[in-house]
Amino acid sequence: MSDFKIEGYELKPGFKGMAKDTGSDQTMFKGVHWGKAMMWIFLLSDTFIFSCFLISYMKGRGSTIIDWPNPSEVFGLHVFGVDVPLLLIAIMTFVLITSSGTMALAVKYGYEKNKKMCGWLILATAIGGLTFVGMQAFEWGKLIHEGVRPWENPFGAPQFGSFFFMITGFHGTHVSIGVIFLFIYAYKTFAGHYDEGKRGWFTTMKGDYVEIEILGLYWHFVDLVWVFIFAFFYLW
Amino acid sequence: MEKTKKQEQTSTHKIGIYLWIWGLLFVLSFFSYMVDWYQFQGVLRWSLILFFMFLKAGLIMAFFMHLYWERYALVNVLLWPMTAIACFIFLMVAEFEYTVFTRFFYFVVGG
Amino acid sequence: MSEDFSDNKTIQAQSSETISGGGSGITPDMDYVRPAEVGEQDLYHGHSFITKWIFCQDAKVIGVQYFLLATFTGIIGLILSWLMRLQLGFPELVPFMTAEHYYQFVTMHGMIMVVYFLTALFLGGFGNYLIPLMVGARDMVFPYLNMVSFWSFFVAVGVLLASFFVPGGPTGSGWTLYPPQAILEGTPGSGWGIMLMCISLILFVAGFTMGGLNYLITVLQARTRGMTLMRMPLTVWGIFTATVLAMLAFPALLVGALMMSLDNVLGTSFFMPTILKAGEVLEYGGGSPILFQHLFWFFGHPEVYIVELPAFGIISDLISVHARKNIFGYRMMVWAIVGIGALSFFVWAHHMYVSGMNPWFGFFFATTTLIIAVPTAMKVYNWILTLWRGNIRLNTVMLWCLGFIVTFVNGGITGIFLGNVSVDVPLSDTYFVIAHFHMVMGIAPLMVIMGAVYHWFPLVAGRFLDEKLGKWHFWLTFLGAYSIYFPMHYLGFIGVPRRYFEMYDSPYVTSAVGMNEFISLAAFIVGAAQFILIYNIIKTLKTGKPAGHNPWQACSLEWLTPTVPPEHGNWGDRLPTVHRWAYDYSVPGAKEDFITQTTPPSEVAHTKVEKT
Repeated sequence: MSDFKIEGYELKPGFKGMAKDTGSDQTMFKGVHWGKAMMWIFLLSDTFIFSCFLISYMKGRGSTIIDWPNPSEVFGLHVFGVDVPLLLIAIMTFVLITSSGTMALAVKYGYEKNKKMCGWLILATAIGGLTFVGMQAFEWGKLIHEGVRPWENPFGAPQFGSFFFMITGFHGTHVSIGVIFLFIYAYKTFAGHYDEGKRGWFTTMKGDYVEIEILGLYWHFVDLVWVFIFAFFYLW
Repeated sequence: MEKTKKQEQTSTHKIGIYLWIWGLLFVLSFFSYMVDWYQFQGVLRWSLILFFMFLKAGLIMAFFMHLYWERYALVNVLLWPMTAIACFIFLMVAEFEYTVFTRFFYFVVGG
Repeated sequence: MSEDFSDNKTIQAQSSETISGGGSGITPDMDYVRPAEVGEQDLYHGHSFITKWIFCQDAKVIGVQYFLLATFTGIIGLILSWLMRLQLGFPELVPFMTAEHYYQFVTMHGMIMVVYFLTALFLGGFGNYLIPLMVGARDMVFPYLNMVSFWSFFVAVGVLLASFFVPGGPTGSGWTLYPPQAILEGTPGSGWGIMLMCISLILFVAGFTMGGLNYLITVLQARTRGMTLMRMPLTVWGIFTATVLAMLAFPALLVGALMMSLDNVLGTSFFMPTILKAGEVLEYGGGSPILFQHLFWFFGHPEVYIVELPAFGIISDLISVHARKNIFGYRMMVWAIVGIGALSFFVWAHHMYVSGMNPWFGFFFATTTLIIAVPTAMKVYNWILTLWRGNIRLNTVMLWCLGFIVTFVNGGITGIFLGNVSVDVPLSDTYFVIAHFHMVMGIAPLMVIMGAVYHWFPLVAGRFLDEKLGKWHFWLTFLGAYSIYFPMHYLGFIGVPRRYFEMYDSPYVTSAVGMNEFISLAAFIVGAAQFILIYNIIKTLKTGKPAGHNPWQACSLEWLTPTVPPEHGNWGDRLPTVHRWAYDYSVPGAKEDFITQTTPPSEVAHTKVEKT
């Protein structure tokens, strides 16, 4: 991140540094771990996947001549005799942001090589993710109970159901994969693999706390995508 | 990249910055929820939704994903491809408007 | 040349951080290259047959695996094209050839050749083999992931070929897989076939993503000391940029394939409008077929350049080596590659002029399409200027290069016809289009592959391919390909539509029949000529002339490994140090007509080397 030195290379800040780094030998991203660079490029590619989903959704929703259902009502909950719009979605957003925060702190403690804090925070993140997936399952169940299917929708345009299940399903898959990895990494942290530089199961690379940051990037990306889905699918 | 000799982290960020961003994200999410709660409509709704969305996305990317502290060489590489997405969005807006126009013209008006 | 990689002249000066270049005057630190930023890579060395040759983590073996599997699928594509030509030239000659089969063969031929043959061969094959060698890395940065990438490709090919054996056979919707017809009953393979096609594509994309991340990070983060981006051979630039395109374009294909699978299996209506079939309304409704076309071509046009850019890069290197001249306008070539890559995301709908999209789009996309011709034309000029007054060795490799330039210019010019809306409208869906894209992205890249095989075979196998057979192979392919595709332009002009199973008694029959027979005969010969290469490889693998070190007197790193063929880890004890670009040929004042990238400046201080 911010402060590091490279022998025989002056790191310039800002745009001058950008030009110099790009034109230099060996590495373009100075001091960036291979795995971290890979995760960033992967996330860029994944951004294009989600963008294509959301663009398709925009095109589909924009060109239908049957009315689109009002998400505020469809996703509302009836609690204590009051209709609260979007309540479940609001709670899901809250949970996911919470888990994003714990992840950010886990990365911070990882860099400080604070094994215990790091491990517990990863575990907390994983539990947050699990809660999110659970609530999403509840939401799916509720909609299916009300008669929404991928191919039909009692509230209006059938594409509503199609896009809803596809996009949230794809995002949910990302969250689920993230949760699995969070549990694995929590185990590896507690077992001290990053302190002793133990090699991973499939790689010759030695374990390092930078792996926590790489996982963190993925997890924040999942949160980032949710910000866009929340805005475009639920609030629009 | 095995043991990287140049990569010793000499300092990490203070916990305060993370807590601040965390808090801000909650507040902004609450605000965007309020957009729906008060049922703002039209341009106001749109601009508020997009404003909060980009603010939240920016905060997550800049601070949680550390992009603010990264060197520009990386930031540059990550942001340029978004122009292709922007172009795609822009053209698909034009496309759905045309589709919906033809649908109304042929199905509703009857040609 | 064997001392080149030992690099014992490096003087470690402390203060200067500059990367040494050529120039005048010998100063103590002119050979200085700053120390390595990154520690040595730990490699997993295989110790059994399985870990050495099958589930291998060595990029070179993976490259050869990709090459062989892609060639295998390519041969299937070739056989399918033979069957198609048999039907077109001599209708009703083949008893089992129904219209359904014809469409299935067209579809599979197209998809196999574009994705499973050319893309896999250029990026998976040449990319894996050459990138680590050319940038001076020990291996790809994530060898395990690289291995998984190949095996995903393997499974993808398996799923694709399995569709020949499922009920209904493979999909027959054309390689563009346009809905709604792709998944409606009546189109061959509308159930299983299209499903397996989508699954296969998704697997391919997943596998490719793993490989692509490897290529990108190896180029960006694992170059050797002294290797700047602007010193990389153009081959690496081409493959690198193509990989960037693939990483950003394949998502659109993935999304399109996924949504179409859902339309097919779950009955959603992403792409399916309200459809009347035999007076009966189907359950679909409200979807947008044109959305699929946009998604497909948002992938499809960059895909053209995914095939084309590595070809551009490789051809630049081959021409430079065999004309003994530096590539003309290296920086311009790099920027042209990057520019073409960037622009390729803004031209996709020129494939859709007649699709019924927003009519204003024609203006936008015709403009961008013509703009993209500018960097492409610059590249052609630069190749010709590289040849100009070069010391040309007219060997097989050079013949393929010249063949490529001619073919590519030919296909490029017809591209300008098709890029303009008003010319494209009458020509679209005729054989003119077939001729255009086969010239520009079929034959032209194929010529590069062939040239590259003749060029790098001595590195991979340590022996030369037979020149005489090579020349037969070239002339049969080159003249034959022209016999196939040149008449097709004419067929297009008289209006013969593409994708027609048979012309029956249409007015085209009289003028087109003879020509179709001629094209078919040429196609059989050209197809058969490709087996000369396979024979050549098998023959020379054991008995060919030994190549030894750096047989072409090339400058770039891949020829400077301690052992030929390079072993796992590529560089023996010490990584090479790079002092210059890869094109110092015929430098005035130098002893030999090439100066390798590892030659320190103090050794060639009296020559007029380029400052790079």
